[in-house]
Amino acid sequence: MNDLSKKLIRLSITLTLVIAAIILGRMLWVRYMDSPWTRDGRVRADIVNIAPDVNGLVTSVAVRDNQFVHRGDVLFTVDAEHYKTAVAQTKALVEQRKVELTMKRGQAKRRAEIDDQVISQENREDSSLIATSARAEYDAAMAELDLAKLNLSRTVVRSPVDGWVSNLLVRPGDFAQIGAPKLAVIDQHSFWVYGYFEEHKLALMQIGDPAEIRLISSNQILKGHVESFARGITDRDNPTDVRLLANVNPSFNWVRLSQRIPVRITLDEIPKNMILVAGMTCTVIVHPKS
Amino acid sequence: MPREIALLDALVPTLLFGFLAASCGSLIIDWLLTRYHLYRYIWYPALFRLAAFACMFALSGLWIY
Repeated sequence: MNDLSKKLIRLSITLTLVIAAIILGRMLWVRYMDSPWTRDGRVRADIVNIAPDVNGLVTSVAVRDNQFVHRGDVLFTVDAEHYKTAVAQTKALVEQRKVELTMKRGQAKRRAEIDDQVISQENREDSSLIATSARAEYDAAMAELDLAKLNLSRTVVRSPVDGWVSNLLVRPGDFAQIGAPKLAVIDQHSFWVYGYFEEHKLALMQIGDPAEIRLISSNQILKGHVESFARGITDRDNPTDVRLLANVNPSFNWVRLSQRIPVRITLDEIPKNMILVAGMTCTVIVHPKS
Repeated sequence: MPREIALLDALVPTLLFGFLAASCGSLIIDWLLTRYHLYRYIWYPALFRLAAFACMFALSGLWIY
């Protein structure tokens, strides 16, 4: 073997390996940096805050913490005594208004038949108007009765969705205030995933692209697809002060951190045996179609 | 292939183990080349070792991701 060919062999083996290293290194870089995936994903679900529609003492709680409930199932009941009494009271009022209406109508009818020689025209017109007014009062009493019945029915608080009771803190004997949430129900059919993608990765995907979701808690891979992109995030560098002046933080000129944009991923199917918890961490990998 | 592995309850990237494996691999290659006097076919041994390590590390990374 002469010197030249020996030199060529040495050179070519080394250079081939160097070129392979550069190509593989670039492939890894592109795969890691320029493909739409994020480690920063969260499982989310719609959570319904359950608050009573009426005030009162809680008489019974029909569910346990983390229990599954169907739509329409009773969650807890508020003391109905006040509202039953209110219904009875309004019923009495309706009766009274009804009697009054009959009386006023009778008067108006009689006076309409008597001629101008006996009563004045004013008196006759007034009695007709008084009857109309009594009719309106009767209607008002009927509406009050409806309201009282509605309040009575709202003393039983029911679940508006299928799902799981969460953070049940209400106990019998608590005072439930109107509009103050007492427990939360997590909607069974509403689970979705928020992938927080870096800004520069947003251009790499489109709505409808398939996605795979890997949870920390399990080795199963969930399938989904990109549903939508968030169209706004807070500008953290510019909070306004009390006088509404801009307060721009100085940023580093060289190193800039990419912000995260929430991308909503719809889950195509959830395996039956999988326990999904709103708030779980997951990795989201989007496979662009184009 | 999971992208994170729990190491003493801390989730570390699987790539870290790829790095360790590539380091061991390059030590083995170095030992073999020395053992069988193959370094005479190599132009710059240091460049060769670096390129071999980069290749192994990139391959493990491509396999994981």
